[in-house]
Amino acid sequence: MISCTDFIPAYSELFKYLDSRGGKAAVVAFWEYLSDNFLGNLKELVVANGIKGCWLYWSHTLNEEAADFSMELDEEAGMFRIDMYHCPSMGRLIETKHIEAYPDYCHHCDVLYRRVLEPLGYSCEVDLAHCKEARCSLVVLRK
Amino acid sequence: MGKLVMRRSAADNKYLHKDFHGALSNGIEYLHETYGPEAVREYLRQFVRSYYAPLRAQIAARGLEALKEHFERMYAVEGGSVQTEMDGDTLTLHIDRCPAVTHMREHGYMVARMFSETSRTVNEALVEGTPFEAEMPDYDDATGRSTQIFRRRAA
Repeated sequence: MISCTDFIPAYSELFKYLDSRGGKAAVVAFWEYLSDNFLGNLKELVVANGIKGCWLYWSHTLNEEAADFSMELDEEAGMFRIDMYHCPSMGRLIETKHIEAYPDYCHHCDVLYRRVLEPLGYSCEVDLAHCKEARCSLVVLRK
Repeated sequence: MGKLVMRRSAADNKYLHKDFHGALSNGIEYLHETYGPEAVREYLRQFVRSYYAPLRAQIAARGLEALKEHFERMYAVEGGSVQTEMDGDTLTLHIDRCPAVTHMREHGYMVARMFSETSRTVNEALVEGTPFEAEMPDYDDATGRSTQIFRRRAA
C-alpha cells in the first residue's frame, strides 16, 4: 500500500511517467479518463443540488486535504468560488526537496473539473498564475 | 437560495484524504489498460526510487528496523493495523485488512486489477540494491489481507 498521505508525490510521478511515454498529450488523456471515471461524485452532487453541489463536494475534499482556503457560494447569482491560499498538493511538492514536481502539475485541476462542470451548464475558470507558490483560484458560474 | 462562506487554515484539519486511494487505483488501472501490466510495475519502481530515496538510504544504513518503523508509522496514520515480527534478518508483516482496499470497497471506488502491485512491486523496489529481498506470499484482492516478508538475500 502507498499511504494516501504519499499520494500527491505518487500522482506527480505518474504524470512524469506518462509524459515520458507519450508527452503532454498522454498526461491530458489520463486526466480526462480520471475526470470521467473518478469524479462521478462531483457530477452527482451538481446534478442533484445545482451549483450548491460544488460547495458540498469541495467542503469534503478541501477539509480532508487540510487546505488553507476560503470558499464562497452565492446560489442566487449562480456563483461558486475557491481562493486557495496554500494548496496542500503543490505545497507538499514544494516542501519535498528531493523530488521535482511535474512542471504542469496544477493543470490537472483545470482539466478535471472543467470536464465535469461545462456539460452541466456551468463555466469553470481556474487561475493558475501563482500556482508555483501553491496559490490559485477557481470560479464556477451558471451559464 | 443563500450565500455561504467558509474560511479554513491548514491547522484546522488533519491531513488524511482517503479518497486519494481511489484516484491512485484509477491511475494503476489506466496504465494497465493503456500501456500494459509492465508499465504499472515500471511506474511504481520509478516512484519508489525517486520519492522513497531517503527511506531506501535508511534501509541501506540501518537495515530492516527502518522498514519496520516505516510500515508501523504508515498503518498508524491510515488507521489500520499491522503485526510486525522481526526474527533475525527477517521482517514479516501480517496485514488483516488493507486500509486502502477497505476504504475503496466501502465507498464504491474501483479497485484496480493490479492494485496489489502497490505492495508487491513497491516492497521489491524499496529493497532494490540492498542486502534484502521482498516477498508477498499471499494477498487477498477482496480485502487486501496479506503477508509481506523482507529477508536477507542468500549469499
